Amino acid sequence: MTDGAVPEVVIDGVTKRYGRTLALDDVSLAVRPNELFALLGPNGAGKTTLLHILCTILKPDTGTARIGGVDVVAHPLQARRSLGVVFQEPSLDDRLTVFENLNFHGLVYGVPAARRKSRIDEMLHLVELAEWRESLVRTLSAGMKRRLEIARALVHDARVLFLDEPTVGLDAQSRSRLWQHVQALRKKRDLTVIVTTHYIEEMESCDRVCIIDHGRILTNDTPAALKTAHGQQFIRVVANDEPTALEIVAAYPGLAHRKDTEIVIKSSGEAFAEALLSRFGGRIRRFIVEDPTLESVFLSLTGRELRDAPASARERTFQFGKRGGEHTK
Amino acid sequence: MTTMVTQPAGAGLTTQLSGLYAIWLREVKRAIRDRGQFVGGVSRPILWVLIMGIGLNPYFRGEIYGEVRFVVPYTYLQYIFPAVIALNIMYTSVQSAVSTIWDREFGFLREILVSPLPRFTILLGKILGGTTVAMFHGCLVLALARFADITFVPSDLLLGLSLMFLLAFGLTSLGVVIANRVRSFEGFGVFSNAVILPLYFTSSSIFPLEPSLTTAQTKVVYPEWLVVLVQINPLTYAVDALRGAFIHFHQFDPRIGPIVLVVMAVGFFLIALRDFSKF
Repeated sequence: MTDGAVPEVVIDGVTKRYGRTLALDDVSLAVRPNELFALLGPNGAGKTTLLHILCTILKPDTGTARIGGVDVVAHPLQARRSLGVVFQEPSLDDRLTVFENLNFHGLVYGVPAARRKSRIDEMLHLVELAEWRESLVRTLSAGMKRRLEIARALVHDARVLFLDEPTVGLDAQSRSRLWQHVQALRKKRDLTVIVTTHYIEEMESCDRVCIIDHGRILTNDTPAALKTAHGQQFIRVVANDEPTALEIVAAYPGLAHRKDTEIVIKSSGEAFAEALLSRFGGRIRRFIVEDPTLESVFLSLTGRELRDAPASARERTFQFGKRGGEHTK
Repeated sequence: MTTMVTQPAGAGLTTQLSGLYAIWLREVKRAIRDRGQFVGGVSRPILWVLIMGIGLNPYFRGEIYGEVRFVVPYTYLQYIFPAVIALNIMYTSVQSAVSTIWDREFGFLREILVSPLPRFTILLGKILGGTTVAMFHGCLVLALARFADITFVPSDLLLGLSLMFLLAFGLTSLGVVIANRVRSFEGFGVFSNAVILPLYFTSSSIFPLEPSLTTAQTKVVYPEWLVVLVQINPLTYAVDALRGAFIHFHQFDPRIGPIVLVVMAVGFFLIALRDFSKF
């Protein structure tokens, strides 16, 4: 670590193999205290495997991982006390009420009664579910359930919060609200947050982004630094007339291509934009400099787009259950 | 960093107990909220005791020339009553394992698995929860005792309840063992019926092993295969133990029943624990 702070989470040379597939290949990583750290990668990149190793439900083949100085492989039970986990798939008991779910968690983590009550109230207010306290979880919306899971993960004194794809399946409004809650939580208490997500735009607010593919870390830096190093700036230009448009395209062979009236040009920086402007400035109607996005960083590093996986067997069973499939009913 | 590692690993006794309580409470709450299970628990004893028991009652005693003889000196109602307790416990115990599949398929299991509780405590809490519900359903049958002309003193009841507890614990563990081996709810329904009913019918629950109720019937014997099936069925001895407690009738050595019950409870629990530790 460059700033000398003791890292909260340290992953050192972790390798994990499933049969012949190498899920994680000698991964080393350090996350600072109070950091909002994002893991980004296509499906099957190894994000969830890494998260599961940190959550102590999977053992690495080689390497170590420490959370707050506790080795998660050697002392899983102790490490779990400082972990709060929100899994990709919902893990609430929807036959219990909101309060019962939180209270269950508090009891299982051995939170003393008085603190349990106050912490539950505090968390319910923070995620704006206080008025739903006595409702059965099955009556909540998907977004509310997610918020409840985050609240639950923090009923005990978690130092590190893991969020595995927390916004999958939520509408845009619920997603932004969920992130507001996560930010609010970080202001309220010391909390290191490690998140995986498909939605690249959500990474912008993270302190650091680690891009991972085929079980290897490709890069690990702040969003701004990543964009500078790997991002691609584009300039979108609309010319006044057809001859100018043709001239612009001809002037940047290999860099420019046309979409109807609009010309998209790969830019190499400020000087490039200025040169373009000084040459064609008087003859263009629109000139937009598009800053590099994390999307383009991701594309240039992995050569892949982020994609959703088809429904698994588990997903189908889940749907069956949602229709009231438990056969004692 | 090193200062934290020296702390005792995992959860202390208080956490263990509060975690055990939480898991137990959840099982019980879920069962209370599941109306279907309760309806089954109530209707089963009524069908078996009041309809089948009373219906078959006259055929259980042989009467020749006015002389009534019994090998089993009880009415049919009294005879099957302890077996119906076992049946109700069996259904509920094995059904409670559905919640294990539910937890696994719907993700709640993960919430428990990343908690600081050891697997032993988690499993014990789940099984004790299922046992409690099964005991309650067993007691629903006891409520029909007066219709079956069963009278027992408090010490009988105490013995009976402890035997019921052992049976419920063993069968709930068996349910978890089965649940760990099936992938879906549909599979479990088929599997549990394929286990429960054959076990019940071959446990000498609805007929005594010795069919010669009267002197005229002494030549009537069951085929060897049926006798063997009944004798190798562990539930036979569980039912026998319950009969011993509630109507003081044994077909086998009274010591076998409790031994079989303890072996079942411990054995199935250990298998379930071994399976569960693999998650």
